[in-house]
Amino acid sequence: MLGLGAYEISVITAMGVAVIFALSLNLITGFCGQISLGHAAFYGIGAYTSALLTKAGLPIGVGLLGAVILAGLVGIIVGFASLRVRHDFLAITTMGVGFLFVGITRQLDFVGGEMGVSGIPDSGLSKAGFMLFVLLFVALTILFSLHLKRSWMGYSFDAIASDEDTARVIGLDVSRYKLAAFAMGTALAGLAGALYAHNVRFIDPESFGFVESITVLAMVVIGGIGSVPGVIFAAALLSILPLWIQFFDEYKLLLYGGLLFAMMRFSPGGMAGLARRIFPSKTRGVKS
Amino acid sequence: MLYVELLAQGLVQGSIYALVAVGLTLVYGLLRILHVAHAGLFTLGGYVGVLVTNATGSLLLALLVAMVTVGIVGMAIYRLCYQPILDKPPYVALIASIGLFIAMEEVYRLVFGPYGISFENPPLQDVVQMFGVTLRLGEVATAAGTLLLVGALAVFSGKTRFGTAWRATVTDPDMAESFGIDIIKVRYLNFFIGSAFAASAGVMVALLNNMVEPTMGSVPSYKALAIIVLGGLGDVRGTLLAALALGVIEAFGTIYLGKFLDRDAIAFAFLILVLMVRPQGLFGRA
Amino acid sequence: MSKITNRIAVLAVAGALISGSALADTVKIGMNVPLTGFAAADGKSALLGAELAIEQANAEGGINGTQIELIQYDDLASPKEAVPIANRLISQDEVVVAISGSYSGSTRAAAGVFQSEGVPYVSAYAVHPDITKSGDYVFRTSFVGEVQGRAGAKLIGEMLGKKRVVVITLQNDFGQSLAAGFKEKAADYGIEIVSEYEYSIKDRQFGPIVTKVKADQPDAIYASGYFFTAGPLVNQLRSAGIDVPVIGQEGYDSDKFIEIAGPTSEGVLITTSLDRDSTVAETHDFIQAFEKKAGYNADMVAASGHTAAKVVIEAMRKAGTTDRAAIRDAIAQTNLVASTGTISFNGLGEVKKDVQVQIVKDGAWHHYAVIDDKDLLAPPEE
Repeated sequence: MLGLGAYEISVITAMGVAVIFALSLNLITGFCGQISLGHAAFYGIGAYTSALLTKAGLPIGVGLLGAVILAGLVGIIVGFASLRVRHDFLAITTMGVGFLFVGITRQLDFVGGEMGVSGIPDSGLSKAGFMLFVLLFVALTILFSLHLKRSWMGYSFDAIASDEDTARVIGLDVSRYKLAAFAMGTALAGLAGALYAHNVRFIDPESFGFVESITVLAMVVIGGIGSVPGVIFAAALLSILPLWIQFFDEYKLLLYGGLLFAMMRFSPGGMAGLARRIFPSKTRGVKS
Repeated sequence: MLYVELLAQGLVQGSIYALVAVGLTLVYGLLRILHVAHAGLFTLGGYVGVLVTNATGSLLLALLVAMVTVGIVGMAIYRLCYQPILDKPPYVALIASIGLFIAMEEVYRLVFGPYGISFENPPLQDVVQMFGVTLRLGEVATAAGTLLLVGALAVFSGKTRFGTAWRATVTDPDMAESFGIDIIKVRYLNFFIGSAFAASAGVMVALLNNMVEPTMGSVPSYKALAIIVLGGLGDVRGTLLAALALGVIEAFGTIYLGKFLDRDAIAFAFLILVLMVRPQGLFGRA
Repeated sequence: MSKITNRIAVLAVAGALISGSALADTVKIGMNVPLTGFAAADGKSALLGAELAIEQANAEGGINGTQIELIQYDDLASPKEAVPIANRLISQDEVVVAISGSYSGSTRAAAGVFQSEGVPYVSAYAVHPDITKSGDYVFRTSFVGEVQGRAGAKLIGEMLGKKRVVVITLQNDFGQSLAAGFKEKAADYGIEIVSEYEYSIKDRQFGPIVTKVKADQPDAIYASGYFFTAGPLVNQLRSAGIDVPVIGQEGYDSDKFIEIAGPTSEGVLITTSLDRDSTVAETHDFIQAFEKKAGYNADMVAASGHTAAKVVIEAMRKAGTTDRAAIRDAIAQTNLVASTGTISFNGLGEVKKDVQVQIVKDGAWHHYAVIDDKDLLAPPEE
């Protein structure tokens, strides 16, 4: 279908999931300036929720909805932590949340423990059909991100991201906006996780560990923190990079690490910053 | 007696955490960078330690060589990697550091092989009895070495002119500069000492496990971050106490909570608990 | 930066062309295997083992005159990477069969893809019980954890006659399934489990556990792990003066274990599938050929990679066609002497073979016993 082979379809599906996941963190970290080093926990909550609901016989729609709701609820709880601790303290607290998630799922027998969950039902669609299903959610997430960015809430996020104290002085309800950012971002991560679960059809605690949290943060930062097109591009690129550079064989992870480093060292604004430098006239004056 | 032994084991583990975390908190205190690649230097210390010991037969010499070379590598990392991006938002340095760490691990794997290396004749393997507690000599050496290094650091920063300049710079860089302190030199010194400490921890872990592997730094890479946050970010004394406390909590937790939570989760549960009560860390100033 | 990206893109296209234009008159075997990251050491052994089997087969004329080509991709032992790789092997490289030289997570994820596309898939050493449940195209040439755990219970309770046992379990699918199998049969052999501890795959320092085990005063210790966790664990147990038998499994099975644990490794027993002192020509030859090719001694993972590749090669020869369904049937009927023993499969695709008990003696792995109790070792049927 669509002239694409099974390989291309599986790659595009994986890219789509990564884009949703990265955009979800972009809401929290990019728009609202709250660094999270444990975002994979919400991805995992979504994946486990949808996997278990659909395995219990419920339709995939219910699985996705459950994933979004549960991830969002836990996200709000963690959001409360962001009211208590700030900056680097928050980064490490969220990292702790990530480790706690992995530690708890490891030992919880009713979610499969170490064994994870296998035999997760697929979407019931063909491979190409599921790819389009994922792409539909990608489109919705992009539209939502762009809309949010230009809304009053988006401006408030921006104010909080640049200077929380000043935002408070000018009368913004900082706590409420932070909670909103966490709720939306984590709910979207839950959606991405659910789609991941129905794509890979096997999940275990390690799939949602620290490395995954770092990977998604890298996508946001490499893309250009807060920039929707930048993050989309970086997520798409970084998610397939390991496959793409297969022929680098042994040197693959070295190249990946080196790329992360080089990007930050030489273009701290990420790809969005790079694009602004290359095409200054087009984007001059547009803040992103 | 069991409790005393567990306490002793916790303190040994805590000493290693302390040696790694002190360097990290020094860097944070001065530059506000979460220096994840620090754990890569810890691993490098382990490799140098084992290789030099195997070549010369002297563990002490190996420790010295490891501390000096890794200290120099640490300074190079500051100069080449961090200095150019100091004025950027903190996450820039964080991601750069993570990228650097991944690349370092891979370099170790490519250069030294994926299986890791061991001592040909593992030193300090004998067992000693002290106050009814059985410890390996390596464990005693680890605790004693930590005490010695941290003590030396305290004397250095408290009693020497350079130490005074250093503390002044950490407290207020601008003020220090206006008093004529060369803050660039202080930063180099900072990275040298921090990295040398990490290297010493690497050698000690190599000794305790009789193994150095490319991914040896993966646990310290995040655990040390938790410790410096617990200690109040940038506070050396707090970091030391937090490291020892975490070592002890993990020792007891592994035995009594191991069925419910793994070691990492126990550590982070403790961290989150503390931060919710004291957002500035256990020993941080509000 | 953009220049580099361009160059990468050019290389990617070139790479695709090269692999796409490979000679059509070969028959392709696909393999997913971790070559970078934390599992790279095992991945390397598994790959070298599989390569060796293919070189040997090609030297004998390949598959009825057609040379065999191995196409492998690095899956980083990650389920996420394994799915596109499986799809790529099937749809782009058009492999006839595939083997896994990887860990459980990625093997489990890839198995689903191979099953749904009807490509026979043989896992070399991944232990997750659900892998073969993916369907009738998926096979495994290594023991499931439960089987090895049961063998461990027999070894301790009956063969060694030790009754008070401490169980130290690695927190992953491997450790959990071993512990489950061990506990299932422990009572049958009169074993009393004094206490149980768990540790994470990242742990190398076991001070607290060692301290507590010493207080437990067991007759034997059943500890699951890999050489990189078991080496330090055994060393620390022995250093603390605990000299009761330590029983491990195939995860210990590497010379690296002996190197790490040093002299304290003497007397450690493991249940595994490679017999170093085997008089069977196949195993004996494999051990020598592998050392020549790899430059280091064969281990369980290497032998498993070799065995998995050999099973699919043998099946292709017997099927005499590249028809995947026919090859699947041939694999199901395997009865083959391989480096890890005489291989046949049950209805689920699980291997039926003997368990080798090896012991560390004079700084090397040696034969200790064989467990061939068919009932005890019966793999799960569903």
